[in-house]
Amino acid sequence: MDAKKNSYRKNFMLIISFMVLISISLVIALFLGYNFTKKYIENEFASLKIEVHEQTIAPYNSLFQNKIPEISFYQGFLDSLSAAKYVDTIFKNYPFVEKIQFFDTQISNRPIEDGLRIGRLSLGVKSLYQFGQNIPKDSTLIFKNNKPGTLSLSSGDEFNKIGLKFASYVETADTTKAFTNDQIFKIFYSIASNKINYMNIPRREDIKIYQDLMLKDRAPSPLFEQDIFSFELNPFKLQIKNIHPELYQFISIRPLSYDPILERPDLVTTDITLPGAFADYKIYFASEKGFLDKEVNHRFLPIAIGVFVIYLVLAFITFLIYRNLNVNEKMFSLQYDFINNFTHEFKTPVSVIKIAGNNILNAKELSEKERLRYGKILDEEADKLNDLMNKLLSFTQIENKAIKIKSQEINLEVFSHNMIDAFQLKYPDYEIELNIEDVTHFFTDPVLLSSIYHNLMENAYKYAMPGQKKLEISIYRIKKGLMFSFKDQGIGIEDSELENIFKKFYRIQNRYNQQGSVGLGLAFCKELVNFMNGNITVKSKPGKGSQFDVMLPYDI
Amino acid sequence: MLDLLKKYFYICLSVMLLSCSSNTKTEKIKAEVFFNDPQKSSFHISPDGKYLSYLQPYKGKLNIFVQSLERNEVTQITAYIDKSVKNYFWAGNEKLFYMKDKDGLQHYQLFSVNKDGTKTSLIETATDTRVEIIDQMKNDDQYILIAMNERNPENFDVYKLDINTGQKTMIIKNPGSIVEWISDKEGNVRLAVGSDGVNETLYYREHNNGEFKPVISNNFKNTLKPLGFTNQKNHIYALSNINRDKLALVDFDCSTGKEIKVIYENPEADILDVIYSKSSNKLSYLTYEISKREIFFLDNQVKEMYDDVRSQLPNQEVKIIDRDQKEKSFLIKTYTDKDPGAYYLYQDKKLIKLADLNPEIKADQMCEMKPVSYKSRDGLIIHGYLTIPLNKKGENLPCVVIPHQGPATRNVWGYSPEVQFLANRGYAVFQMNFRGSTGYGKDFQTAGHKQWGKKIQDDITDGVNWLISEKIADPEKIAIYGYSFGGYAALNQAIYHPDLYQCAASYSGFINLFTYIKGFPAYYKPYQQMLNEIIGNPKLDADYLKYASPIFQIDRIQTPLLVAQGGKDDRVNVNETNQFVKELKKKNIKVEYILNDNESHYFRDPANRLAFYKKLELFLDKYLHPDQY
Repeated sequence: MDAKKNSYRKNFMLIISFMVLISISLVIALFLGYNFTKKYIENEFASLKIEVHEQTIAPYNSLFQNKIPEISFYQGFLDSLSAAKYVDTIFKNYPFVEKIQFFDTQISNRPIEDGLRIGRLSLGVKSLYQFGQNIPKDSTLIFKNNKPGTLSLSSGDEFNKIGLKFASYVETADTTKAFTNDQIFKIFYSIASNKINYMNIPRREDIKIYQDLMLKDRAPSPLFEQDIFSFELNPFKLQIKNIHPELYQFISIRPLSYDPILERPDLVTTDITLPGAFADYKIYFASEKGFLDKEVNHRFLPIAIGVFVIYLVLAFITFLIYRNLNVNEKMFSLQYDFINNFTHEFKTPVSVIKIAGNNILNAKELSEKERLRYGKILDEEADKLNDLMNKLLSFTQIENKAIKIKSQEINLEVFSHNMIDAFQLKYPDYEIELNIEDVTHFFTDPVLLSSIYHNLMENAYKYAMPGQKKLEISIYRIKKGLMFSFKDQGIGIEDSELENIFKKFYRIQNRYNQQGSVGLGLAFCKELVNFMNGNITVKSKPGKGSQFDVMLPYDI
Repeated sequence: MLDLLKKYFYICLSVMLLSCSSNTKTEKIKAEVFFNDPQKSSFHISPDGKYLSYLQPYKGKLNIFVQSLERNEVTQITAYIDKSVKNYFWAGNEKLFYMKDKDGLQHYQLFSVNKDGTKTSLIETATDTRVEIIDQMKNDDQYILIAMNERNPENFDVYKLDINTGQKTMIIKNPGSIVEWISDKEGNVRLAVGSDGVNETLYYREHNNGEFKPVISNNFKNTLKPLGFTNQKNHIYALSNINRDKLALVDFDCSTGKEIKVIYENPEADILDVIYSKSSNKLSYLTYEISKREIFFLDNQVKEMYDDVRSQLPNQEVKIIDRDQKEKSFLIKTYTDKDPGAYYLYQDKKLIKLADLNPEIKADQMCEMKPVSYKSRDGLIIHGYLTIPLNKKGENLPCVVIPHQGPATRNVWGYSPEVQFLANRGYAVFQMNFRGSTGYGKDFQTAGHKQWGKKIQDDITDGVNWLISEKIADPEKIAIYGYSFGGYAALNQAIYHPDLYQCAASYSGFINLFTYIKGFPAYYKPYQQMLNEIIGNPKLDADYLKYASPIFQIDRIQTPLLVAQGGKDDRVNVNETNQFVKELKKKNIKVEYILNDNESHYFRDPANRLAFYKKLELFLDKYLHPDQY
């Protein structure tokens, strides 16, 4: 248990189940999103009709609430001329008004022929005018009280409707109070199918006079003027503004009874009843199912894209976590290997020193030859250990940026020859060629540069078949840099390994690599080069050889 | 340390602020002070000149008080706490008659009471009866002559009233059209003015037993106002503008119906006021006003007395408001533009102060009213008054323009609570007598006929532009406010000159001229003719009336408005005003609406009036931002 706790843990099941989970979520989200969008569209289809209704009915309301009450402002003084002007403004602004009848009315207590008589109060029609979109101006007058008895029945009907209402109000009116809106609506408007009748609202003082005329026996009174208007409306001329063309394919005004469910079963429909004088009609909304589906898709698309983007982001994060885990695992095994290698690395010289020490301890006396041999062995192995430790130390130092560059001018040719000479002394079979083009001096830290030389030359020798241990060092300028190219004819590196060779503790697993190396060399080189603001690249063909190019900045 | 610094900073700041405010220090006087009703009012002198009577609030209602001038004692003779005493008169030297509202519905009751407050008795009259005194009957201790409308609410008949018993006997029955009865110094009613509301007819009889015969009739454009009898038989004094432009004082022969001579005529102004002594049939003085009140004396004794009063009360305008029968004691009222004035009793060359009209007003805190005049675009001279706030230079001021009501009235020079209230708030107040105003002759008045919405308005606009060109008004801070016709004018100005005014306030302003016309008896031809001529024919001039009626012009209104309306107004229809305000609100025009359900055209309740003026102050403040203090 403890061992597991401290060991490196990597559970792919976790990642897979997470992926499965978010994938399921994706599907659910898409499913729910689609359904909600559909529901939402259905709701909108049912509710936004109110907006269309309001827009459509706005001119009617304006006629009803503003334009018709304007009649009252004339206080009964309208005559054919001023009424014609008033009516013109209506026809101009309200195309759904078909015809207007204007009853120029007189109220008195005298007996009359055409009109209403309630108690002693008579409402007589002085003259009747009709105006309409198609009625010529010269035929507006259709009745005048100097020709009694010629008032048509239908016109008389409209007149009576409002007249009766008014008279019954006058009979019981309380003239000390102002009219409430409700009273105004009930008394002075009379609304029937496609018709609005209106009488101008008299002042309270007038009502008082009318009341007296009606209830008291008085001498024949003067004639008081009232104006009654009858508006004939055509609901089909109401202008429908489809402010939601994405929802409603067809909008029309239909009689209340209209329902085409049998003829067009594929239609989604809704309707809303018109108010007031249009109460027998409705606004009918219809859309084909496919039309609405299109709208659903249209609205759903951005939601789906959004959900997908979130899904992809999550998946990508999962991938990054997976990759990190992998890298960490590799690092973990590398460090493990390193410790292994290092232990081995230390072990060889340590055991050699141990054997040599033992031998010296156990020998009764040492011959000169033996002393020299053990001395040499001890010295060499101690050097090896020292070398190992230095490498490790400087590597960590560079990694932690603990060292400083101590630059000085060096002669490249002398510097390179010194390095070559040292290697050829060590490995007599090492063939090294040097080409320096167009450059003699370089300003850099010679210790760091020699480390780079050393590592690359060491590798070139190490990873080459006997007899192929050849190296070509070229130094030349490119752009603002100085290129050090190390080209060998060694075993080369597989493409798949190329990107790993500069990693710490990485060693290509092969037979040339059984002894000696810790896998720090190239990583160390790369660290150095980077530390000196340069870069290092590699080209290689397995079996043919590798070429390491080190580029360092060249300041003039 | 920091606290100390802070303290120091605040001290510095407050010192700075104080020094700022002390530069133009004008005390803001409470609105209540301006619109206080006078404590004592309706002063009368008893016929023998020994007692003084007046109305004074008692527990909030007006009651009658009688003061003995010899003993200087005051007796409260009525003590009503439900309704105020409306008016009263002396009947002989012992009794007073008064009328009191019975139920708040303008049903009056008539009472008599002794001057010491004893023997209050109700005199039975039909409801709606009103009583006016015609003659005290100098030579008769038992009877007085009164006019009363008991028989028919629309007709006042002449009655003889027994002071002691309250018994009343009708002596002349109104044939139906008489609106005024005039008696001679013997108490014989010999002159009557008949009117159909438009045309006036003068009736005359030589003897008490004779028949009244029409002397002369004139239409609404001409005036013949009888003042009283002269010492010559059949002759009367009258104010007349028949065959001339300005109202002049004339001697008129009732037997021939001819004007005998002009006693006084001013070439520039109508005669406003004539003081006539009935007991001696003599004229005392007359006044006229072009820009300030001018007096012309017609009696040297009166002039002497007047000069004496003026020497005791320098720089005050003086008016005689009552006198006793022997003309020894006079009731005098004084005023100036900065002083609401006071009542004095003048007796034996001595002045006794009776009461201040508004003692809380200090004249030195009020603002000077300056007569001004300007030329209208068509060359008429328009007279007006400009009141500049105290301690202000007359430059670049926020300004309130107040067109007067009417239009057939005028502004006069004198104390006006409304004007002083606004001036105290830092506004220059501008009033003008636009065409159609009275006092400047017949032509000037008729020039306003059918021009309510046009030339009258042009005169107002010209006045405001004159004020701007004189650099008196800040063109960015001008408001217009008016009552009745003035409110109508304010609305009209806002409609047709939206750039000129920041805001407009209308107190019972007419909003529909059709309704205004309808308010007059429709059936009567002369009325209609008069209305057709003064306002417009509702049928033939419908386009003009629409142009001139604010309710038809709602679409043009942009200016913020304050509208005040009485629910029982018989000249402005509350339904229409409601509609008007509703439409404006729908259009998102800033409109503030005061609706007092129980008020009529003029707000009778002082609380409502005060509330209106306070609202007006806030409203003007909101849009003009005067920097007064």
